[in-house]
Amino acid sequence: MRWAYALNQWNIRMDVFVRHEDQKRALKTVSACGFDHIELAAGTGRWDNLGRPEVILLNHGSHAGFLEFLRGCSIRGVSSMFWDPGQPVEEEGWAFRSTANPADHDAIVESARPFIDFLAGIGADTLVVRPTGSAWLSPPLDADAIKHIGQVWNRVGELAAASGVRVALHYDCLSAVHTEADLENLLAATDAGLALDTAELTIGGIDPVAFYRRHHDRVTHVHLKDTRYADTGTEYLMPGAETTMLRGGAGRRIERWFYELGTEGGLVDVEAFVAALREHDYPGWVVVESDHGGNPAELAMLNSWYLQHELGLERTHGYR
Amino acid sequence: MKWSYMDHWVTETPQGPQPPSFNRAYMDRYVKQLSALGFQGFDTFFFYLPMLAGMYGSVAGFERFLQDNGFDKITGIFSAYPYATKYTAPHVRETHDRIFADCENTVRAVEGLSVENFIVMPTTTYFQVEPVTPDKIKIMADLWNRVGAMTLQHGMKTTCHFEFWGAIRTREQLDLFFAETDPALVHFFCDTAQHTIAGVDPIQMFRDYKDRCTGFHFKDTHTVDTAEAYRTPPDPELMAPGVDRWFYEMGTEGGLVDFPALIREIVASGYDGWLTVEHDKAELGGGSYAEATCVAKWYIDNVLAEVTA
Repeated sequence: MRWAYALNQWNIRMDVFVRHEDQKRALKTVSACGFDHIELAAGTGRWDNLGRPEVILLNHGSHAGFLEFLRGCSIRGVSSMFWDPGQPVEEEGWAFRSTANPADHDAIVESARPFIDFLAGIGADTLVVRPTGSAWLSPPLDADAIKHIGQVWNRVGELAAASGVRVALHYDCLSAVHTEADLENLLAATDAGLALDTAELTIGGIDPVAFYRRHHDRVTHVHLKDTRYADTGTEYLMPGAETTMLRGGAGRRIERWFYELGTEGGLVDVEAFVAALREHDYPGWVVVESDHGGNPAELAMLNSWYLQHELGLERTHGYR
Repeated sequence: MKWSYMDHWVTETPQGPQPPSFNRAYMDRYVKQLSALGFQGFDTFFFYLPMLAGMYGSVAGFERFLQDNGFDKITGIFSAYPYATKYTAPHVRETHDRIFADCENTVRAVEGLSVENFIVMPTTTYFQVEPVTPDKIKIMADLWNRVGAMTLQHGMKTTCHFEFWGAIRTREQLDLFFAETDPALVHFFCDTAQHTIAGVDPIQMFRDYKDRCTGFHFKDTHTVDTAEAYRTPPDPELMAPGVDRWFYEMGTEGGLVDFPALIREIVASGYDGWLTVEHDKAELGGGSYAEATCVAKWYIDNVLAEVTA
């Protein structure tokens, strides 16, 4: 089991996490909290200079130059990178693509290539992907649709494997692959691993501990965070659920769904989940996330406290 | 090296940015955050003691909560009269009884704990005292000799923390103050940024007063006050023309304090007391206390630790 921290919460808008000095402060924060690897998140454009391989290389000259940048802040490397091929980006001409549409598959496989090359170049081993779009934007996925989604991820997986990178499908609570049965069908349709996100599964009504115990052989990546709420069963279908649900813009007006480990009223049994990982000698990354839960540094510190005091981890150049 | 943390923090609450003493849950989270970074001492202000006692049952109860989270103890209590009034002004002898009584009340509030330092600002603002004369410095020295004798009876050392805008700020004034105070009763607390802003070398101050030094505030500055900003009424820290922010955490670009050199000096001296990280007004310019604390601790773990390795 290897531990990393996701940088996604620092990058709250395209023009605010741009200066290297700001990024260094975040990296030093993560390091001071005891983590020595980070997870990056894909983005677009000149400002998102930790989110797009071409822009990272433009900023740091080479893979080695980027690693040197990280190591200057005592971060030894990158665990993984999150990528959503359905997110339109400038580098792809703002194309809208869907993994459920076979006509988009060639382009999706091709657009994965820079991320895979970059991850291989910096010695990272996992491309975490959003396997399909939001449920509110999609008709219900029938068996054929899930099969098509599996096919494109198998193709991306083959491309990645050739570079020593693996693909992990990330379940999120707004996803068109929503129910436990949907998720199991998707896993059956592909060889790719699963990125199990404890809070997202819980919000989506799936018990992460039970799911992991049943499918531990498919879980190759973990996002560890907590939540105080579960979807009532229909909120993820609200139009614009990214804002109407996840930001409290409508519905129950819950403005914050994601919480630090150990939060009061947390629905995720983090101790039981990590115990299950240990029972199965889980070999992959556990990426702790703040994920829009509050002040990034405060949450990183609280997560660090939880790892040390509740999970009994030792912080010796990274958690063990 | 024993690292302590000085309690200036501000955090987001439903009622806007507030000190963590906003309520028990916020205070718990704050302590856990400091604990995660490995701080073992906690310095706070005298005016927080009643709030801590209310939330944790007693100040001792708060210290037990600290200890449950890996801390050793409350290390210092900061007390100050930064603004002169007719009731309290260290350079006015007639106000000394009131100041002494206040100090005694504060010391009694932590009776039975092993708090080491009773940290004081020995003066008010410069502009309220000037002209600063040897006689006035002598009056202030008399007050702190008296308070020092009292705090020692309660197991705490009175230690003087000087501000760049205080009435004792130059090297000559500092030397005169220490000459007028009893080394057994009045100690030296070295705030690296405050001395640097005032044009005093904190490393040389430590070198010269190491036998009386009982603590540090490790913080940085980007500016030496060469324009007499220290005389700005009513508050040079926040209202000095041309300087929006005087204080920075360790490790920022443009920092003037040579922390590695100071640490070398501290190690060479055999000093075995607490070293305290302070982030004074880190929120200025949109800063986050949490991030400033992490950045400073990173600097301790990665830069200062190299010096002492």
